[in-house]
Amino acid sequence: MTNRLTTRTYRTVAALAGVGMLAAVAACGGSGDSDGGTIVIGYSAGLSGGAAEYGVNVQNGLKMAIDEANEAGVEIDGTTYTVELESLDDQYQPGTTGTNVQRLVEKEGAAVVFIPHAGGIKAAQELNSGRTEFLIGAYSSDPAILDSGNELTVMIPPSFDSYVQPFIDKVMTKPNAKLGLMATSSEFGQEWTKATIEKWEAAGGEVLAKNNIDYGTVSDFAGPVAKTLAGKPDVILVGGPSQPTALLIEEAREQGFDGAFLIIDQAKFEELEEFTDPENLNNSVGIMPLPLYEGTEQFIADYQEKFSSDKPVNADIALNYQALPIFLEAMKIAKSVDDPKAIRDAMPEAVKAVEGVFFVPDSITDKGHLQAKGLQAAYRNAQGEYEPFDIEQPQE
Amino acid sequence: MTLFVQQLANGLALGGIYCLAAIGLTLVFGVLGFPNLAHGALYMLGAYLTFFFLTDFGLPYVVAILAAAVVLALLGVVLERLVFHPLRNKPHTHHMIATVGVMFFLVALVQEIWGTGFLRMESPVDGQVSVLGAQVSWQRIIIIVTAVAVLLLLTWFLKRSPHGQAIEAIEQDRIGAALVGINPSMVSMVTFAVSLALVAIAAGLVAPINLLSPGMGDALGLTVFAIIILGGLGSLPGAIVGGFAIAIAEVMASTYISVAAGEAAIFVILIAVLAIKPTGIFGAVAQR
Repeated sequence: MTNRLTTRTYRTVAALAGVGMLAAVAACGGSGDSDGGTIVIGYSAGLSGGAAEYGVNVQNGLKMAIDEANEAGVEIDGTTYTVELESLDDQYQPGTTGTNVQRLVEKEGAAVVFIPHAGGIKAAQELNSGRTEFLIGAYSSDPAILDSGNELTVMIPPSFDSYVQPFIDKVMTKPNAKLGLMATSSEFGQEWTKATIEKWEAAGGEVLAKNNIDYGTVSDFAGPVAKTLAGKPDVILVGGPSQPTALLIEEAREQGFDGAFLIIDQAKFEELEEFTDPENLNNSVGIMPLPLYEGTEQFIADYQEKFSSDKPVNADIALNYQALPIFLEAMKIAKSVDDPKAIRDAMPEAVKAVEGVFFVPDSITDKGHLQAKGLQAAYRNAQGEYEPFDIEQPQE
Repeated sequence: MTLFVQQLANGLALGGIYCLAAIGLTLVFGVLGFPNLAHGALYMLGAYLTFFFLTDFGLPYVVAILAAAVVLALLGVVLERLVFHPLRNKPHTHHMIATVGVMFFLVALVQEIWGTGFLRMESPVDGQVSVLGAQVSWQRIIIIVTAVAVLLLLTWFLKRSPHGQAIEAIEQDRIGAALVGINPSMVSMVTFAVSLALVAIAAGLVAPINLLSPGMGDALGLTVFAIIILGGLGSLPGAIVGGFAIAIAEVMASTYISVAAGEAAIFVILIAVLAIKPTGIFGAVAQR
């Protein structure tokens, strides 16, 4: 009997505690809403599992911009707001991105959602102009995200289309040069491969068998590398997340490859250098390391101090860091924090008013692509020195 | 010819890794009768521990691997006592669910300690040798040699030492073994310890040629399950033959057909073997 009573008492107390906690949580939520001074910026990316580092990098860039904005004070149409970043993990699965985005928009009240991967952006584009409306801060260099004609998408980085031809011009040293294909097998890697094959063949080169592999799951690169080298390539297209890319490059050099690497824009020289002997990277072309751009020193130092990180600071971080204030500025001009269409319409004006770190956008195309002047890439020569060169961007 | 030799060496190295990981898995299955779904996560933990002992403690490479193996062996005993022993009279579904729990726990633990990013463990032995014109790195030769040495030691342990013989006895007939006075609890603990030590060695060997990340065990976990099903659940020779067969098939198919075929090869072989011999190549274990 005593025993039963104790159990009942225990249960009652537990239930009461539970109800009390719920009430407390509800009260908190309520008080938060009544302030009315919060702008929620949504973010969905891979934040755990393999390749989480990229998702975290972009997140840190956004965080840094938000903290600076809050410090300076955000006033829109006479009301003072606090900006908050609400992040959800999608492990780069487009299906999960869709679920996350719905939650960010409908539950957290986000009008702007940043997504840093092409698959997730495409999934979100299916959702943002129907029952719910929200603006996508799209961080992917895949031009396909603009081709869909989605009116509420803002593409942040330069399109990779700009890089393919200039990269080929740098490494194609003879007319019938052979190209080996070893980029990552993600959708993004496949798109890059397709674009490169087309332009390589148009330039009179020969393309070898496709050896795209999943950089995330392959246990040992030696097999695929040996297979690619058996075709005697002059140039190999590589690239995926920087760290496995470095390993693959190292393996190819160890097996005796002395040709050039054409590195897709997902991998960054400054990160590759950390994971392999930098000498292995000689005779490669890729996007320009961030520290080589003028005026990025201060930003890099600030970032490393803020996140007490000694890892390289790359373009992914900087581009997102400087894109976020444009969205806030557009809210100011539109005098609205929750009307995605009005915010998008204010973008052309907002983009002119915002400063940045490097490659600072000064206009936005009708399709929603942020444009900046002075895009550069780099060729790492046989002596291990970077030779920057200008990239012409196609006009829409 | 050079390409063939090159790929054979790569296939043997990969096979060594698969073998060590698969034997651990098949041992646990043979003795306890359930698949340890946390095996991939334990492999990942083994790699991180090797990295930890090598870089933070400055231990020599081989000692670091052994230290990781000892830590994982102890963890095996703890897991057996804490998680699986209390479930011993429950249906095997409970064990499987528990192993999934262990897997999530370990991945979260590693993310908390070492972060979500990639880590690179420097190869302790650089350079390569030329074998019939092919370039084979010393690390891969170490993998092959170590795998063979560990397999020989393990065979000796199982056939000659009292603890090993007890494991085999339990595998063959649980009730019979208990009747002659073999303590099943003790055997369960030893099995877990050996299984986890083996997977730690596999991870320590592969770490220098791969990157460390909390998700590194996922892909291996799947392959290793295919291997022990191919070889016959619970069969030791099955795990060895299956490990090398799958690795060489994977490498050769991706060399002479296409990279996609290499990934498919594992499962094509698996389906073919199961169609002819549903218990696997050496499968003597009856349906439990």
